[in-house]
Amino acid sequence: MLLRLPPSLHYPITVTSLLKQPGDAVERDEALFWYVYQTTVTEGDGLGNKVEVKRKFPTKFESTVDGEIVQWKVAKGDVIDEPVDVLEIDEPCAHEVQFGGLCAECGKDMTESSYNTEVTDIMRAPIQMAHDNTTLTVSAREATRVEEDAKRRLLSTRKLSLVVDLDQTIIHATVDPTVGEWMQDKDNPNYQALSDVRVFQLVDDGPGMRGCWYYVKLRPGLESFLENVSEMFELHIYTMGTRSYAQHIASIIDPDRKLFGDRILSRDESGSLTAKNLHRLFPVDTKMVVIIDDRGDVWRWSPNLIKVSPYEFFVGIGDINSSFLPKKQELGKSGDKPAPKPSKGALEEHHVNGATAKTDEQSEVSTLEQLVTMGGGDNPRLLQEQSDAQEESIMHQVEDRPLLQKQRELDAEDDAAESGSDSSSSMDESQDMSKHRHHLLEDNDRELFDLEVRLERVHRNFFDEYDRQKSRGLGGRVAALRGEKAPSKEKDVDLKLVPDIKDIMPLIKRPVLTGVVLVFSGVLPLGTDTQNADISLWAKSFGVAISQKINGRTTHLVAGRNRTAKVREATRYSKIQIVTTQWLLDCLTQWKRLPEEPYLLPVHPEDRGEPISPDSKEMAEGSWISSDDEAMAESVDEEMSQFAGIDATSPIGYDEEQQAAVHDELKEFLGSDDESESDTDVSVLDEIPSPGKKRKREEDESADDVETDNPSEEVDVHGSRLAQRIKRSYERSTGLKEVASAGVESAFKQAQAQAQVPSDTDADTPEEPTSQPQEPVEEDDDELEREMMAAFEDGEEPADDEKIANENE
Amino acid sequence: MFFLKEEIKVITLHPSYFGPNMREYLINRLNEEEEGRCTGDHFVICVMDMVDIGEGRVLPGLGQAEYTIKYRAIIWKPFRGETVDAIVTSVKPTGIFTLAGPLSVFIARKNIPSDIKWEPNTVPPQYTDHADQVIEKGTSLRLKILGVKPDVAAINAIGTIKEDYLGPL
Repeated sequence: MLLRLPPSLHYPITVTSLLKQPGDAVERDEALFWYVYQTTVTEGDGLGNKVEVKRKFPTKFESTVDGEIVQWKVAKGDVIDEPVDVLEIDEPCAHEVQFGGLCAECGKDMTESSYNTEVTDIMRAPIQMAHDNTTLTVSAREATRVEEDAKRRLLSTRKLSLVVDLDQTIIHATVDPTVGEWMQDKDNPNYQALSDVRVFQLVDDGPGMRGCWYYVKLRPGLESFLENVSEMFELHIYTMGTRSYAQHIASIIDPDRKLFGDRILSRDESGSLTAKNLHRLFPVDTKMVVIIDDRGDVWRWSPNLIKVSPYEFFVGIGDINSSFLPKKQELGKSGDKPAPKPSKGALEEHHVNGATAKTDEQSEVSTLEQLVTMGGGDNPRLLQEQSDAQEESIMHQVEDRPLLQKQRELDAEDDAAESGSDSSSSMDESQDMSKHRHHLLEDNDRELFDLEVRLERVHRNFFDEYDRQKSRGLGGRVAALRGEKAPSKEKDVDLKLVPDIKDIMPLIKRPVLTGVVLVFSGVLPLGTDTQNADISLWAKSFGVAISQKINGRTTHLVAGRNRTAKVREATRYSKIQIVTTQWLLDCLTQWKRLPEEPYLLPVHPEDRGEPISPDSKEMAEGSWISSDDEAMAESVDEEMSQFAGIDATSPIGYDEEQQAAVHDELKEFLGSDDESESDTDVSVLDEIPSPGKKRKREEDESADDVETDNPSEEVDVHGSRLAQRIKRSYERSTGLKEVASAGVESAFKQAQAQAQVPSDTDADTPEEPTSQPQEPVEEDDDELEREMMAAFEDGEEPADDEKIANENE
Repeated sequence: MFFLKEEIKVITLHPSYFGPNMREYLINRLNEEEEGRCTGDHFVICVMDMVDIGEGRVLPGLGQAEYTIKYRAIIWKPFRGETVDAIVTSVKPTGIFTLAGPLSVFIARKNIPSDIKWEPNTVPPQYTDHADQVIEKGTSLRLKILGVKPDVAAINAIGTIKEDYLGPL
């Protein structure tokens, strides 16, 4: 080891004599050489005066390490101006492996420090290498050596490393005692699904949870999955559960310990309670490591990660060990449900499909989870709080029995559905589904089968690449041999050729959805960064581009809920597919671009905007205003100027008739804004009475005419539109009648198209479309109303389908 | 090395325990709290006998009684150079983790004879010289302690089997 001078010396220094010769043994704190340095000191001259004089002081330099001197790098008389290496010392032990503050090789105490210590010896071995032990640390060199050995071994058996998460990835666990009761009860509707649930008890799991029983459901196909995957991968467990929890799970999924061995890392050893770090297991490099986990954020979306869809067997339980992880970002599922209608509320209030349950649970623990996100992992108080939080949530589960309650709700719902079968169903699909469901727990997860295929593919691509590199490398080596210089170490050459999984995986993933330009609507809560949200990062790893606003390049609108301004806007582009969030999720989990048809969002007929003709300039330039956009206000000016630009290049002209129709339509558009829309939307629309916009309207109008040649169909569409309007107006607490009549009126006018244009219509100031004066109801209105009622009773689905079909044409 | 050591422990007793079985209760309490404890310096193996339970003193203002108990216990203090028998808990490429009773001892790869090699491909992984010596999880080892480091509530030790008569039993 080269001994370097510390920066704290008083430079420049002059070496005056060397005290040791090469071959001499030195101990720590033993003097190595004398040097002098010069400094200014204040001295008294004996007469009470103080004089500043320059003095030289001779000093000894002492060794900071033990060992034998190999070679001096300085000589007597040298003047040293800065920290340099002064001599080489051969240490008997470099303390590369340390165990609990001791050097594991020589047994010396590493924590000792003295006046001469600059860096304690503990810093020589900073890397934790063992899965199950935090007291053992090694140096970077030792870690590299061990890891290279491991890599050679893996390459020779053509395996990769696979880090496996437990909770919600390959198993789902709960402490809800209801499960135990159901398992005993043969008559229970869930009995069948629970038949292979394993049970264990954790005795020493902290105070308060003493003797808690855990119920573990293995993900379907797990056994064969692990069996097959273990032939291609060396498996590691990395969980945020406690050590004893991990051990119990491991003995369930791998009773012989031949899959995982003792390569189990739990939160006791993880080092961080909020994130998982691959470097904890593979400190040197992660070229040959694949991760499977249901959470991407805890891995910071590492390129080694294959995110799987979370396994949720025990509905609404979530991840029992997640109180240690940062709060999960929800995909706006809470917005899925329409608010229960006051008129028939009691019947429809409880849906069991996980989403609602999850939000409930989250709101319960959210304050505690805030604590988790607040600070780092090392704070003991925080740790205590987190443990308390977990304990509390577990106690909640044990006491509240969420599953039992859900089943009760489900049963009640079933009963209600039977008795009141004539009650009209709402638009929501999940609600329809839950009606046919009689047991709460479903056992139909297929993720692992898909996952196995994906892992196989990654493995194959990796070793194809490796073989290719190797054959190329071999050619190079033959040339090297011919050049009479034998390579020093063949093995190392091999290691250098190892391709990086971080390059291989994106190569597979990226082409999957390349070319897709997404806009989210109702998926992420307002105010989140759409570029860095979990779902966005995940989607981006598959080549998806995410944009804020809908424009000509947009290919897909991913809508978390129906009837948003963006959905309305997207219908105007024939190219944009409006799909549910599930489409994206399924694409991402299956690594395939799935056909959009099964996932198309049933767009509300009233939201269907008139399509923009493909050659229109706005397709390329103009982007519509959506109420969800925060940046909208700022962009208004820009958009206006854009419109103005269009105006300048393309002269427009339209007669009064058309103008009135345009105003009508604009008014209707405003009127159809439901209560969820912000006021700013309206005001912005008011601010843009620019001719460019009107021109667009006009275009739309004509397009509409072409599209709806069949008058009966059109009436039908309007009928259902009306039905919606009326229905919605019932929900409103004020101005019911006016809204209804306004809706009827405007739709009526729409139906008449350009044939008959009402002359009054306060078109120039459509600020209060809902409170306009009532007009005498005409005969046609009655007819429409009848149709509307028919549509209302039939349900809106047929109309919707028709509309979709219309669009697809 | 084992010692018989006289120690003193102060136990405060809640008034609800005052009664005929107080003595048994104190003994139980002493056994529970002391046996198996690691002071950082030594392990208390077993409380042998009560030398003196002393007279209880009621604490002013609390009503609780304080007993100063003198007792004898067998303690084990591991020393450098001591040879102990241990059981392997896990084997790693960097070395072997063992437990000698309550004491965790790590044997670094450097302190394993060079003919005993790391063999990761077996299930479970092992150190072996491909003859009669196999070290895997559960194997009994005789090792020599190279260094001992007291911690707050544990003792860590380093061992070696790279000497004559050491290694798997």
